[in-house]
Amino acid sequence: MRRVLAWTAGTLLAVGLLALGVFLYVMPPFFITPPETFVQSMAEAAPPVDAASAPAERALAERGRYLVMTSGCSGCHAANGDRGPDLTKYLAGGSLKFQTAHGTFVTRNLTSDRETGLARRTDDEVKRVLRSGVFPDGRVTSYTIMPWGAFSNWTEEDRHAVVVYLRQLPPVRQAIPNPTVGNAVTISGALEQVYGLRDYSVTHP
Amino acid sequence: MMTPRPRSFIEARYKIRTTGTGSLPTDDDVVRSVAHGLPGTAMPGWADLLRPADILAVVDHLKSLSPRFLREQARPVSAENEFPEQSPSSVARGRAAYERLQCGKCHGIDGRGTGAVATEFVDDWGLPTAATDLTESWTFRGGATPRDVFFRLRTGMAGTPMPSFADASSDPELRDLGAYVVSLARTPVWDMRADELQAFYADRDREARANPVKRGRYLVGTLGCATCHSPLDEERRVLPGMKFAGGLLFVFDPFGRYPTGNLTSDRETGLGSWSDDEIIRAFTLGVLRDGTRLPPAPMDYASYGSLTAADQAAIVAYLRTIPPVRNKVPPPTKTALLRHIWLKFSMFFLGLDPPIVLFAGNVGDTGDQSQEGRR
Repeated sequence: MRRVLAWTAGTLLAVGLLALGVFLYVMPPFFITPPETFVQSMAEAAPPVDAASAPAERALAERGRYLVMTSGCSGCHAANGDRGPDLTKYLAGGSLKFQTAHGTFVTRNLTSDRETGLARRTDDEVKRVLRSGVFPDGRVTSYTIMPWGAFSNWTEEDRHAVVVYLRQLPPVRQAIPNPTVGNAVTISGALEQVYGLRDYSVTHP
Repeated sequence: MMTPRPRSFIEARYKIRTTGTGSLPTDDDVVRSVAHGLPGTAMPGWADLLRPADILAVVDHLKSLSPRFLREQARPVSAENEFPEQSPSSVARGRAAYERLQCGKCHGIDGRGTGAVATEFVDDWGLPTAATDLTESWTFRGGATPRDVFFRLRTGMAGTPMPSFADASSDPELRDLGAYVVSLARTPVWDMRADELQAFYADRDREARANPVKRGRYLVGTLGCATCHSPLDEERRVLPGMKFAGGLLFVFDPFGRYPTGNLTSDRETGLGSWSDDEIIRAFTLGVLRDGTRLPPAPMDYASYGSLTAADQAAIVAYLRTIPPVRNKVPPPTKTALLRHIWLKFSMFFLGLDPPIVLFAGNVGDTGDQSQEGRR
């Protein structure tokens, strides 16, 4: 009887460990979700343009939406949910933290929120980041983190369309910690380290 | 990967001058470029970030970078400062000058390339450049008043194929030509009505279909493919001659090591032997030729998957034109199973956040012995 119990317990433990191992192996489900499904869910995450805006603004915003959703903005400026990015908070930022020799940077909130988002910035200030990587305080960001070297190749007209669309994003209140300066890269030979599992919209100790 | 690339200050060859061909710029010329920036490039205006005294200090520093400023004096062109109001007659005379001086050979009969004979240009540093679209006056590097354009015509733009017309023409004719060039400006999108925007974008789509390589070059440039698909040194500079050749290493534990692929048309080590569909599958679905699936970062195929079929095909068309560079990049490798499971356990139960780590150097094999030390 004891033997049977021991065997049962052992088997259950082994099965449990195996199940845990399998669970850990497949989570997050990057590699078991069909790629088409995953890409589709990301494409549908971009909010439609504001139907109530003026016709000319709508036409610009449609162009801007295509540029924003195809240029990888959401890859870095996502907001984290419980499991992976929270697609309902489109471009609310905070999901990635970059550590480089020049400092630590958390992806910003690009929504139209007045206190924590892009509504605080003028069109020219937003365009200057996209064209030259220069922030309103005069800081120049690294082009391997925020790829402004690529976005500088946008025509001024496409850049304008991008800003028109960003202005229409539904506001999400989400404060992002400011960059901190300092040598934070610890792995030898590394240019930067990007952290992305936790929610960095709040400062972790 | 800005186009155009930032200029070297060592040679002190400034495009935006009011001085003769081959001359240094005046201090005011450089102050102007720093304060107002160079439209159509990544250079912003600093007037609202720096005080005038700071801008002067920046200009002094730039001059200290070239010994030419110690040896030579700037030679301002003696041109009348009076620029008459743009009038129909000056524009008409300018139009005649545009034809007489054969501006259309490079800029097209309409100012935007139609019928241009020369279409591929390189600057004095061998980097590709293009004739300015004269209908997009907001991209004029040195400003878009008739006076600004007059000085570009009068002095030429150092280092670019744009020559000075001082010998071929006269100041009055160049003033008229400046007025004509400014008159070519079309309405920018931010001033268009809805119907104009629709017609404009439909027109652009037609042009893109007619010239997929050009459209693909724009997409690859603005998506920043080269930012990751080129090996970098410790200062984040692309290793010489290795743009698009891949070999930049991302280690994404607990998933694996992902060196960026060689996007050049090299048959053995690049995309030369890949079919169009295989290339599109890789950058839109993250599935490589051998079936390997990529995690959604750092290669953001989910975004590129939203590109229209025409734009995807345009990207392939452009990638096919990148000259071959031999760089045999090893395939991605998965993290060992037990380490993978342990790191996942740490992520989910111990709150650890393992980073994606980007490394300097090229992990590919160029077959060049002198590159060995870089690996």
